[in-house]
Amino acid sequence: MEHSDISSKGKVLASGIIPFAFLVILIAYIFGPGSDVLNLGVPLPEITMEKVDFVDSEIKVTVRNTGPIPVEIAMADINDRIQPAAIEPDKTLERYESAVVRIPFSWNEAEPYNIGITISDGTRFEKEIEAAAYAIQPSLELAVLFAIVGTYVGIIPVMIGLLWLPFIKRISKQKYHFFLALTAGLLLFLAIDSVEEALEVSGESLAASFNGALLVTTVVVFSFFGLYYTSEKLVNNSQKAKIAKPVAIALMISIGIGLHNFGEGLAIGAAVGLGSIAFSTFLIVGFALHNTTEGIAIAAPMSRGKLMIGKLAGLGMIAGAPAIFGAWVGGFVYSPFTSVVFLAIGAGAIFQVILTIMKWIRSEGDQNLSSAAVASGFVIGMMIMYLTSILV
Amino acid sequence: MGILLFVALGISAVLVFPSISEAQKEQKTFVTHTGGVIKTTGEVLDPVYSVSTVEFDPEKYLREFNYGKISTLENGKTLREFTIIAEDDKVQEISPGVFFNVWTFNGTVPGPTIRATEGDIVRINFINNGSKEHTIHFHGIHPAEMDGVFEIVGSGGGKFIYEFEAGPVGVHPYHCHVMPLEEHIVRGLYGVFIVDPREGRPSADEMVMVLNGLDTDFDAENNFYAANTIPFYYQHHPIQINTGELIRVYVVNMVEFDPINNLHLHGNLYHYYPTGTDTVPSFYTDMITLSQTERGIMEFKYDYPGKYLFHAHKVEFSEKGWVGLFLVKDSGTESQYGT
Repeated sequence: MEHSDISSKGKVLASGIIPFAFLVILIAYIFGPGSDVLNLGVPLPEITMEKVDFVDSEIKVTVRNTGPIPVEIAMADINDRIQPAAIEPDKTLERYESAVVRIPFSWNEAEPYNIGITISDGTRFEKEIEAAAYAIQPSLELAVLFAIVGTYVGIIPVMIGLLWLPFIKRISKQKYHFFLALTAGLLLFLAIDSVEEALEVSGESLAASFNGALLVTTVVVFSFFGLYYTSEKLVNNSQKAKIAKPVAIALMISIGIGLHNFGEGLAIGAAVGLGSIAFSTFLIVGFALHNTTEGIAIAAPMSRGKLMIGKLAGLGMIAGAPAIFGAWVGGFVYSPFTSVVFLAIGAGAIFQVILTIMKWIRSEGDQNLSSAAVASGFVIGMMIMYLTSILV
Repeated sequence: MGILLFVALGISAVLVFPSISEAQKEQKTFVTHTGGVIKTTGEVLDPVYSVSTVEFDPEKYLREFNYGKISTLENGKTLREFTIIAEDDKVQEISPGVFFNVWTFNGTVPGPTIRATEGDIVRINFINNGSKEHTIHFHGIHPAEMDGVFEIVGSGGGKFIYEFEAGPVGVHPYHCHVMPLEEHIVRGLYGVFIVDPREGRPSADEMVMVLNGLDTDFDAENNFYAANTIPFYYQHHPIQINTGELIRVYVVNMVEFDPINNLHLHGNLYHYYPTGTDTVPSFYTDMITLSQTERGIMEFKYDYPGKYLFHAHKVEFSEKGWVGLFLVKDSGTESQYGT
């Protein structure tokens, strides 16, 4: 009996491995040495200028080989006028390798520039800069400034939003459902906003080889199911862990919003980093108004438990504080790839939170999602977000 | 909470201040357009000042005139025979680090400068070793069947003999005239044809400048401009001339895409003979505007030694390579120009 069990296990293993082995052989056949069965077409070189920094009398361009073949960088130009330049560490870029092109140039603040890089086959790649501004240098001062901005954008508005809790606490069940649905509406808007932003960044600054749209989709789905699994565990074990179910839901909402706010911090940090200071002040005010509504999202489920000010403040921190970290990362070590990934994680997290809230409404309210309170709450939530988003 | 914050701070610090203690690497230097000296640990991307390793030598081309294989015909006329071979598979380094498939007459862009005296019989043995059809179309006076337009010469060794009497006196372009014409020209199938007057011109330091451009990314805009193909070449290899010596430049504008080109000379003015057809100069100026295949002869002398720029005063072109220097050396002789 035992023997046959082992041999059947072996069979299962073998039947799992055999197709995989064939796949390996197929790939070896296509890519293997001396094989030019599938040598079709001409591979075109491609480079992407991921980042342009304006420093003292110099423009620094981070360039990455995002094509299928190695490239040699040959020349740099500013506004289509050839400039002597240097490339560090060297001009040969293997696939996905990056280098920094240093172009000495006395640029003028707030003026647009077109940066061109020519590779050895004479192809010129270009990147438009809307307005030149000094690249920010990492400093304690700036880190503190970003922390303050993050606090204004993330923590304070969320805390203000939480102050609606006593109000939500006193209202009828119908109205309570209205507010929960409102929260879901708010969040749906945020999630779509994050996805849109992620797609925009990937379209603008990520090479086609990263498959921007699919990268976003994959990360959203990953984040959604990762958090869905975690939250189910957390909510189901809430009795054991001595956390009230509303608190568990509020915690998941806070985490989702926190991830989203990290993305917002990135946007603000990057805006400051790219020199659009005026734009980012506006961005800050807009986000602050916008994020007050996020406080409501956390407050809504919490309103059915005991009033726990400490826990509430903690949740507010979880939701709001990531804006600070986001601003640091966005301002100091901006990379389009990480931005896209974080924005997508935020979106996935929020979709999960929406699902959690909808389930909560259903279980609370007579297994029904089609009441007037829920429908109107959802729609009004979206509308509030749309109107406040105009300010951003 | 506190621990979390601490960890996050630590990670941020590592992200923000990477590799503080990177080992010292070898430093290279280069000079900017405005004279600043920049140090780098990497490689220099400098089409302006680095010594060119390009296959085509603009220094040699500048003063190289081909008079052909000379013989006398029964009627007493001088016959000048030339062989010109067209190719379209050469990849040449047309600027440091930039490799481009040029189409060539006798292996170079521009093709050889052909020179004859008015009334000579010019015979061109044309061989097309390219993969496309090509011809040679000379500007000048000749029979219709020698015009190189309808007598298409096939690829892979096709032959044609162009024969005509050299004329009129002046400087003329020759180029391939196969459609798509713009492509056949901008890829490099052109050269200069000089017809000297029978009585000759005053002796001078003579040179040829073909003002041209290359569109290396095929967007119908030139990526490079130059006098004689290689961008910035005469800027880092100044053309050496002497004070008091008559300089005669045969200038032909072959730039495509842009409607005009021009030539501005520093510290001096030149006598300009449009198309070189007249012996009396039409202008005394430091700036002449040239349209496509517009050409002429410029004559000047420098009184003072030193470095003088010449460049397109359509400065976009000069910032993309069409700029050079005359290095005028003191010869100790008085200027005799104009006497």
